[in-house]
Amino acid sequence: MAQIFPKWANKVPKQIQLGLILGLTAIVFGFWYFGSPEYLEVGYAPEQPIPYSHQLHVGELGLDCRYCHASVEESAKASIPPTQTCMGCHEQIASDSPALEPLRESWETGEPVEWIRVHDIPDLAYFDHSAHVNVGVGCVSCHGRVDRMQVVMKTESMSMGWCLDCHNDPGPDLRPVEQVTNMDWQPPEDQHELAQMIISKRNIAPPTYCNACHR
Amino acid sequence: MSNENQRTYWKSLNELAQNEEFVKASEREFPKEASELKDGLSRRNFIQIMGASVALAGLASCRKPVQKILPLRQQPEHMVPGNPLYYATSMPFKDSVYGLIVETREGRPIKIEGNPEHPSTLGSTNVFQQAATLELYDRDRSRHILQGDQQASREEFEAFCAEQFADTDQRIAFISEDSSSPTYLRLKQAVLDRFPNAEWVNHEPFSDENRLLGNEKAFGQKLRTYHHFDQAKVILSLDEDFMQLSDNDVENVKRFSEARRVKSTEDDMNRLYSVESAFTLTGSNADHRLRVKAAQIPLFLNALAARLSESVDGLEAYRNHTNEFSQHAWISVLAEELLNNRGESIVAAGMDHDSDVHATVAAINLALGNAGTTIAYLELPHVEAGDQNQRFAEVTRRLGAGEFQSVVIMGTNPVFTAPSDLNFAEALDAVPVSINLSNHVGETARLCDWHVNKTHFLEAWGDGYSYNGVRSIIQPMIQPLFGALSEVEFLNMVLNGEYTTGYDLVRETWQSFAPQDFEDTWATVLHDGLQEGTSFPAVSVSLANGFTEEAGQVLGQSTPVDEEALELVMKVDSRVYDGRFANNGWLQELPDSITKITWDNVAQISAATARRIGIPDERDFGDLDAHKIRITAGDQTVEIPAWVIPGQADNSITVTYGYGREGFGRVADGVGTDIYPLRTTENLLFHSDVQVERTGEQYAIASTQDHSSMEGRALVREASIEEYRDHPTFAPDMVYIPGEVDEKSISRYTLFDPQDYPENEPQWGMSIDLNTCIGCHACTIACQAENNIPVIGKREVHREREMHWIRVDRYFSGPDEANPQVLHQPVPCMHCELAPCEQVCPVAATTHSDDGLNQMTYNRCIGTRYCANNCPYKVRRFNFFNYTKEYLTTGEDPEVVQMAMNPDVTIRFRGVMEKCTYCVQRIQRGKIETKRETDLKKPADGTVKTACQQACPANAIDFGDLTDTDSQISQIKRNERSYLMLGELNTRPRTSYVAKLRNPNPDMA
Repeated sequence: MAQIFPKWANKVPKQIQLGLILGLTAIVFGFWYFGSPEYLEVGYAPEQPIPYSHQLHVGELGLDCRYCHASVEESAKASIPPTQTCMGCHEQIASDSPALEPLRESWETGEPVEWIRVHDIPDLAYFDHSAHVNVGVGCVSCHGRVDRMQVVMKTESMSMGWCLDCHNDPGPDLRPVEQVTNMDWQPPEDQHELAQMIISKRNIAPPTYCNACHR
Repeated sequence: MSNENQRTYWKSLNELAQNEEFVKASEREFPKEASELKDGLSRRNFIQIMGASVALAGLASCRKPVQKILPLRQQPEHMVPGNPLYYATSMPFKDSVYGLIVETREGRPIKIEGNPEHPSTLGSTNVFQQAATLELYDRDRSRHILQGDQQASREEFEAFCAEQFADTDQRIAFISEDSSSPTYLRLKQAVLDRFPNAEWVNHEPFSDENRLLGNEKAFGQKLRTYHHFDQAKVILSLDEDFMQLSDNDVENVKRFSEARRVKSTEDDMNRLYSVESAFTLTGSNADHRLRVKAAQIPLFLNALAARLSESVDGLEAYRNHTNEFSQHAWISVLAEELLNNRGESIVAAGMDHDSDVHATVAAINLALGNAGTTIAYLELPHVEAGDQNQRFAEVTRRLGAGEFQSVVIMGTNPVFTAPSDLNFAEALDAVPVSINLSNHVGETARLCDWHVNKTHFLEAWGDGYSYNGVRSIIQPMIQPLFGALSEVEFLNMVLNGEYTTGYDLVRETWQSFAPQDFEDTWATVLHDGLQEGTSFPAVSVSLANGFTEEAGQVLGQSTPVDEEALELVMKVDSRVYDGRFANNGWLQELPDSITKITWDNVAQISAATARRIGIPDERDFGDLDAHKIRITAGDQTVEIPAWVIPGQADNSITVTYGYGREGFGRVADGVGTDIYPLRTTENLLFHSDVQVERTGEQYAIASTQDHSSMEGRALVREASIEEYRDHPTFAPDMVYIPGEVDEKSISRYTLFDPQDYPENEPQWGMSIDLNTCIGCHACTIACQAENNIPVIGKREVHREREMHWIRVDRYFSGPDEANPQVLHQPVPCMHCELAPCEQVCPVAATTHSDDGLNQMTYNRCIGTRYCANNCPYKVRRFNFFNYTKEYLTTGEDPEVVQMAMNPDVTIRFRGVMEKCTYCVQRIQRGKIETKRETDLKKPADGTVKTACQQACPANAIDFGDLTDTDSQISQIKRNERSYLMLGELNTRPRTSYVAKLRNPNPDMA
């Protein structure tokens, strides 16, 4: 009697097994990598209605972060500046630049400039800027070198694990409070001692329980 | 062990009888139907909805959602995005205002608190004030000026006014709600000067008119009665609900509870006697309560006055008067108590009683020396001469006779609330031009030629006087949502035919209050909400000439009451008042303090009356649990479900107004029964003889009274003050908790790993003082407003799915089931240190935080409901449906309701468990602010207040850090009456209770 299956069919079960393993691994890895906030979030740099350049304003002109993001020290929200803040300078400077047309329109009509949110954390997480900048977590720790960005880009994943990395070990990201907006600040040799001093002086004990951020 | 344990507590007659149905209902793991999806949103329907949601979710997740940030053009001063701003304002209610502080977020008022500087609230609130934000964001509010059915612009109405009111000789009838606003009264005077033939009458269906008229009879002047309950050692309340439905309830409760607070065995308490026909909130807190028919209360009072007249001057009219109460045991006891506490007692009668009763009360208080000590009589600037109810009837008759060319109805809704025999709707028809100003296109507005939409008090300028005369400001928190006119703007338009802003009108009035340095005073007033040092002048009263003769005549006409006749008492409702709050979902869903009924009004009857009518005196736990009865008074008939309630006087039926609205709003329509048809000019609040029969129909009532039963455990603990002095630790001693007294307790050994609490974290705890708690439910609504708790509707409440994070359990106790004592016990999450819920959650969605909170992480919850099952306190609430999402995203312009939400609290989704968080958003704010602004390691005592604590008018709730041994909460927890509810289960709850005390008269034991 002739064989029903040719000889090569002996390999098929093994190939299927191998294929399944490889396929599952690929799926898991695919989700793990392509579904991760690191892949999906980092590098997000939407085009804004006004091509505002942080590189120009912060990097070259040397504006402090708080000149525009004025509520960062007293509120959960850093806040985007009202049109008035921009017009404070642009009434005089580049007052006829076509790029600033939406700004002048807002100033005349009272309609807001529609900025696109870059750093968007989920609604179930309540992040408070003031709790961080007042104890010496620098802007650059979460937002990257904004002073070198033509277009603001998200540089960190801002996932819960990323938050907890620092909440479990805040030391490496602490600096003297007066240096928080300094984009160029380099940790000193004795960063560990400095961090310990700030931790004890400011009673820093970052919470890691759920209700600290989720309410 | 004290023999207090022998006392039984029960929530309903069914529980007391332990009848089969009750046992069956209480033994179920989950309430019947609570676990099932049934009709309405059927399973098929549900899957369709689910399908649609999934499809939408699928599409939505393909692309990163783009969120926009819209900064302002110009940032207003003081406004910091993300931080709340607080403004002082006032809430007008009838002819007084309550001082408030309103929290606004990015320009939206979201939460209301009492103004601590304002004597009318002293930092607390009642339920109506808490619910006012939802009233502002009511989607059914009138949005347009209407000429007939057509929308009209403000300019058109302005032009109409200029033309219509150009003829100053015409006869205009002004019908207005009561108001204490100086600006409104100034404009009113200007209107009356400009239109000499105009008639102005106030129509306030439940005003304090009878009390004012009573004082006029006694003292010759219409004076306001201002009680100082903190000064009184003995209080006698005759149907007077001064804790809930009086005009100055918040201050009354503040003062009363201060005199009731007992910190140690040395402290004294006041003693409250209550004589009433149906349980009021006040009666439920009385040390002694007598139930008599409402018709008998004047007789009781006369008998008391007669007895007092033997010992004091000023009551000669009553000397030697006798009636059926003269030999009543209460009369001699009360007379002795009142005489022993001259100048330190208060006698008060309810607003439903006629002016003769109030005159007698006033004379008694004067004779006892209470006038000027515990009671002040205040002169009102805005009081009208004569009986307003009679004047209104007269004006209505003249309207019907065609004597007026136009009628202007402001704020009030007489087509709904006027006595039915006046036929107000017909009278209105006889007037050529009718103009109405109201919040809703209600019963009156629909019949008027012009309707003008009225602003809510949170969006308009205004002013007013508090009950005791503190001149207060009303300032807007937001631009009018629907472009309406305030009452002063409206009245000014009628007067001048042109629009002037409310701001200018109010400022013009206030200029006369501070002519010297107006701008400074104005700035201070806006900051404080009130003008310092203002109050109504107190009058030194003396008995009017001829009072004795008049009172003697009234006495001569008094007749014995037929005990067997069925009387009908008609009251305002504790939630919708006269109907004005009927479209407020928070209030509709709030259980009544005594009946625990939501979304309905009922006829309250006693068990004996029920048997007489022929309906069972116990509740049927089926779908249709109440029997309807037909009440006939005169030629009017109303069909209403009956509800048997202990403590109700026999042969007395109590019903409440305000329900059964049609065409008023989506929430109000069709809820309950309208009983205004029974209201007549002669019988505004009371019928002495009505016919009642059962209709045979049965009806579903959503009452929460048997939900979460205690089943005989000592959850509420109480003693008399004498027992407390003999045995100060009676409360904790009632139940042996292993480990509390014994060092080598078994509770040190627990199956679970004990929690580590870091030293830098505060440890939060709460204490609820059952002695001062009056059961008013202000905490429940405050919690609902603060924590975005959804309204779920009658059907869902009937299935025991109510969502309130803090409920108030009401227990009856005592040997006499017809006239029991009452205890109120608020129950929020206990935040157990060894929480049973945490052990059974399969996904660790409920865990413990470092600061001792039992935290709920919504995003992890998969909805097994094991936690609710395992919670001994039954405080966990499950989102069976997408209550909030449906509410916030469906219907036209859902943005309006979205504005009422607290941005600091997550909106919960279908299938998620939720419960009290100790207001964790306030805790986090307190912690962050402490870190930011001070060098303290933990928030200072008093920094963090929970919403329920802040709202409580009795200051019964305390909250704070237990690691701070000097904190208020730590001191209270050390009190000898402090006990843990179900502490014997070794759950180690963070919320504890302070046992209730009563102060019974030994002579009445």
